[in-house]
Amino acid sequence: MRPQLIIRNIGFVLLFNAVFLFFSAAVSAVNGDSALVPLLYSAVVTALIGAFPVVFVPSVENIHNDEGLAIVVGGWLLSSLIGALPYIMWGDPFTLTNAWFESVSGFTTTGSSILTDIEALPLGLLLWRSTTHWIGGIGIIVFMLAVTPTSGQVAMILYKNEISSLAVENFRYRTRKIFQILLIVYVGLTALETICLIFAGMGVFDAITHAFATIATGGFSPRNSSIAYFNSPLIEGIIIVFMILSGIHFALIFLGITENIKKIWKSVIVRYYLAALAIGSILVSINIWGGMYENFREALRYGVFQVVSLGTSTGFATADTSIWPGFSKLILIFFSLQCACAGSTSGGIKIDRVLVLWKRIISHFSKLKHPKAVVAIKLDRTVIDASVVEAGLLYIVIYLCVVFISSLILAFMGVDIMSAFSGSVAAMGNVGPGFGAVGSFSNFGMLPATGKWVLSIVMLLGRLEIFGLLLFLFNRLIR
Amino acid sequence: MKIRTKIMLGFLILALMLAVAGAFSIYELRAVGSSVQALLDDNYRSITAAKSMTEALEREDSGMLLLLSGKWKEGRETLRTADKKFIEALETAANNLTIKGEKACVEKISKAYKEYSMLWDQPIVNTPREGNLGWYFKDAHQSFKNVKAAVQELMALNDQAMYETASDLKNRAHRAVMPGVIAILSALVFTILFNYFVNIYIVNPILLLIKSIDNFLNKGEPISVKMDSDDELADLAASVTSLTAMVKTSEDKS
Repeated sequence: MRPQLIIRNIGFVLLFNAVFLFFSAAVSAVNGDSALVPLLYSAVVTALIGAFPVVFVPSVENIHNDEGLAIVVGGWLLSSLIGALPYIMWGDPFTLTNAWFESVSGFTTTGSSILTDIEALPLGLLLWRSTTHWIGGIGIIVFMLAVTPTSGQVAMILYKNEISSLAVENFRYRTRKIFQILLIVYVGLTALETICLIFAGMGVFDAITHAFATIATGGFSPRNSSIAYFNSPLIEGIIIVFMILSGIHFALIFLGITENIKKIWKSVIVRYYLAALAIGSILVSINIWGGMYENFREALRYGVFQVVSLGTSTGFATADTSIWPGFSKLILIFFSLQCACAGSTSGGIKIDRVLVLWKRIISHFSKLKHPKAVVAIKLDRTVIDASVVEAGLLYIVIYLCVVFISSLILAFMGVDIMSAFSGSVAAMGNVGPGFGAVGSFSNFGMLPATGKWVLSIVMLLGRLEIFGLLLFLFNRLIR
Repeated sequence: MKIRTKIMLGFLILALMLAVAGAFSIYELRAVGSSVQALLDDNYRSITAAKSMTEALEREDSGMLLLLSGKWKEGRETLRTADKKFIEALETAANNLTIKGEKACVEKISKAYKEYSMLWDQPIVNTPREGNLGWYFKDAHQSFKNVKAAVQELMALNDQAMYETASDLKNRAHRAVMPGVIAILSALVFTILFNYFVNIYIVNPILLLIKSIDNFLNKGEPISVKMDSDDELADLAASVTSLTAMVKTSEDKS
């Protein structure tokens, strides 16, 4: 392992973050708010520390896989650290723990917040908070690779470590083309949603920050009551559409736009994804109709929004789901675990793996019936390699173990079981809100400091799809 | 990039980091200073004026009671001096409208005081009002309480603003300190990083070169040092390699 090369590449990541920090500082300066010094100084420090290794260390044409892993994990950790700087410098209510939690939650696109009064934050800081979502949504490294000249081999190793393993399997383009597709779809969807939200009556700042959070499936809103603040079915409708789009494999969206829109629908994964959201929305709407909302239209409006919001791991809120009936809560917890498709900005187990699990169960039954039969597992007419199936199943098991352990630790600290479990599910799936004390209209501020650190590690584990962070931390032991 | 530039860049970054931290701290500290001045100018002056108005009002109430008890001279003298003091304080407050709602508050005081002063401006001694406690409690004291309530409202408004300014001061002081703290931590990290790079790209190649030269001198092994960077050390390694090759050739010839 060559640490200097790792540091050089992380330097690029820092420089990339510094650009966005400078932009937020510029907004703060124009607005004349109190976040100018925290943002500007954070930008200067990040730029200087990032620039030094880039200048000092000569570039190389190749890196090893473990170096790539260290760059990706180190990039995420350092981005979260420098992302916390403006919060720490701004002060109350941002202690070191709170600032780290908010920053990790932003970069991992979780959207869980410690803030009670979000609207009290200056505009520049609110923009930075949403920007962390936008940078983290597509993946810091992917974003960096898309805009910096990097050799193909280096880019491929970094890319494989950054993106969901299933998405890597699904892509069939050259590395540079993949970055272009991701960036075009990502920026295109963000711009389109911003325009739609402005036309629906949202202010420019709100439209931009909400578009950042939607396309990144993050969930940070600059409003205390999230999307409920606007009380507009049109705005909710637009956000629902873009949340659903952000949960689809970006290459499929690209194919649908450039070649044939039917290609999106032809994907089994997308069909299952949409069907699951539709069934979940109807079930929840029926369940909350009568008890929570008098007419079905109201129930449908809130039911659909919350199911899509959690089912895509976005985490916006239009209703307090903590007071919804147990059946609805269970459905929402299922969606918080499953989330959307690989290759999108969504977190969670991902539909691709759920389908692999389902097909594996079917194939197991077939094998029991016909012991000598060779049953291949197919997704979208492609035979899935046995190692991919095994990795997928193992991922689900470890995923649930992490959720269980995290819930156990939180419960040990005195957090009630519903808040501990749903908070862990929300953190691991990068969803955002849970239920109970960490519900859609509450926040994570009341959790003990150690609990916040535990959840921030869980968020990173979820964002880096477990293996990345574990392999980085226990590299020597595993060897 | 040459070694000279690299080292200079390292120190430049370190200096820049500290200088910018210093500049931001000064900026925030100056803002703290302005906030303290604003606190004194805007809020404290209004609070002092409100206190003076309350005192003057109390004196006027005493003056009114003196008139009711038939002491015209003492009563009028007390009222005259208290009225002067009240008007002065009211003018101070009216000229120091710095917070939202303060103007309305001062106008309310002015209106209530006008009604109150009309009550004691009219003759009291040798009129049916002299010794009339019923009139005093029903009209005069009620009017007095109205003015006092309006003055207290002004004081509460400025107290609240003062508290908010003090909270803001606390935050600004935090923001003035933090660049320094972050600069120290960053400088520490940077120093470690700088030291590591100096070792990897300057010290280690020199040691490698020395070892190669020793091997050449002692064992006659040819020098072939590969440098990662394109700087003076790479030039030195190339020159040493050429030199030793020349020495070797001349040795072979002789």
